[in-house]
Amino acid sequence: MSLTLTCPICGKRNGYEFRYGGEDKGPRPAEEGLSPRSWCEYVHMNKCVAGVQKEWWFHRDGCGTWFTTHRNTLTNLEVEEPEATS
Amino acid sequence: MIGKNTPLWGKKTRLKSSYDAVIIGGGLHGLATAYYLAKEHGMTDVAVIEKRYIGFGGAGRNTAIVRANQRTQQNVPLYKEALDLWPVLTKELNFNLMFNNCGNLNLMHSEAAMNAARMNVATAQFHGVESHLLDAKQIKEMVPALNISEDITYPIHGAMYHPPGGIVRHDAVVWGLAKGAAKLGVEIHQQTEATAINTEGGKITGIETSRGKIHTPRVLVSAGGYSAGIIYHMLGIKLPISVLTIQAMVTQPLKPILDHVVSSGAYHAYANQTLKGEIATGAHMDPWPNYTTLTTAYYIKHQAQALSEFLPCLRGVKFMRIWGGLADMTPDMAPIMDGNDPIDGFYMDCGWGYFGFKSCSAVGKHMAAYMAGGNCPDILKPFNLRRYENHRLMGETAALVNYTPDN
Repeated sequence: MSLTLTCPICGKRNGYEFRYGGEDKGPRPAEEGLSPRSWCEYVHMNKCVAGVQKEWWFHRDGCGTWFTTHRNTLTNLEVEEPEATS
Repeated sequence: MIGKNTPLWGKKTRLKSSYDAVIIGGGLHGLATAYYLAKEHGMTDVAVIEKRYIGFGGAGRNTAIVRANQRTQQNVPLYKEALDLWPVLTKELNFNLMFNNCGNLNLMHSEAAMNAARMNVATAQFHGVESHLLDAKQIKEMVPALNISEDITYPIHGAMYHPPGGIVRHDAVVWGLAKGAAKLGVEIHQQTEATAINTEGGKITGIETSRGKIHTPRVLVSAGGYSAGIIYHMLGIKLPISVLTIQAMVTQPLKPILDHVVSSGAYHAYANQTLKGEIATGAHMDPWPNYTTLTTAYYIKHQAQALSEFLPCLRGVKFMRIWGGLADMTPDMAPIMDGNDPIDGFYMDCGWGYFGFKSCSAVGKHMAAYMAGGNCPDILKPFNLRRYENHRLMGETAALVNYTPDN
């Protein structure tokens, strides 16, 4: 198994049950004064970190919860505490 | 002994402290760019910096399929040029790239898919690329092994047939280009990791490597799946890229049964028979970004199910090898090739997803022209990074695939 994730409701489950929801980019930017560039930054741009990143997941084939987790992209393992913030 | 102390491509050289251009990534795009810089622009003081060994990444992990029946008017001419270059490069490099233009058969499983294929065919024909539609009966005559019956999950309605596409021996392209570039004076440094890119006043001044500092006014990042991470880490530039693992596998060798590349979007599977007799087949991507090249039983099962439906003669045939590689996907499934923005002398060539192999020859040629003259060739202009903030995404993807939240 290349990936297991811990759903806050269902616990540790097969990664193929989930849908990846993207890197955590913080709150959606306010519409007031929003430029095409900052919107693009929020919608499309990624850091593609080789290491630990905070990210969103959706338990698609399960309870339907959205949650964030920290995962090391070099090992595909969830980590309890973030080793680095990026 | 060749390989132990002497590299296959030529003499081993010492890493210098300065070059006219440095290319990060010893894959096909980097090597092709270096080759054309030396050959067509007389820039021979070029170093290709490779962390591992040349062809370690996508160059040695792809399924070797080449074709030019993409979807948009900006992309098709580029892939056509790349396709036309294989026989030219074979002669020019004096290296057998084993181009087998067996043709690509892209299966369609619904009338809606046939309509989408009609548009692709029209685009191809407009750009002088041979491509046309076939019905199920014609497909059966061409590839008798295919199952055109109604009793499979996705019955075959027809296909988009692209005769000039096929297979190129991917390792041969790595070796041929490395040898060709080195002969013209390009230096290839393996086991050399780029650790930083230096800038001053908005200009590139050099790079730091695990073997020392290099001064240069021009840097190209063409590190395949690793490019986006490198560019953010070293320059703080974010890219609209998600790096996913894509898996491929080969069966035990069989007698000749398949003389075309057969692919199916609905089954998420493509297959061709290699010259050694193995059926090489690839699947869709693991839908989460990561830098591992781990393989999973999930895809072995997936391939077995798909192939045993549309190529039922493969039932019971064993898989022999499986491997994974990285695909750097963009939201419009078209690459990013850009330069001198926002840093003078900084060039990037990434976001190729799983199209990096089939494009490398033409892209190397044009990226070399870009780097040598500083001006973007017309054919590369639509691929700039700013198209995302300008809402000029390319629509290279017909049916959006579920791989990231971006679509």
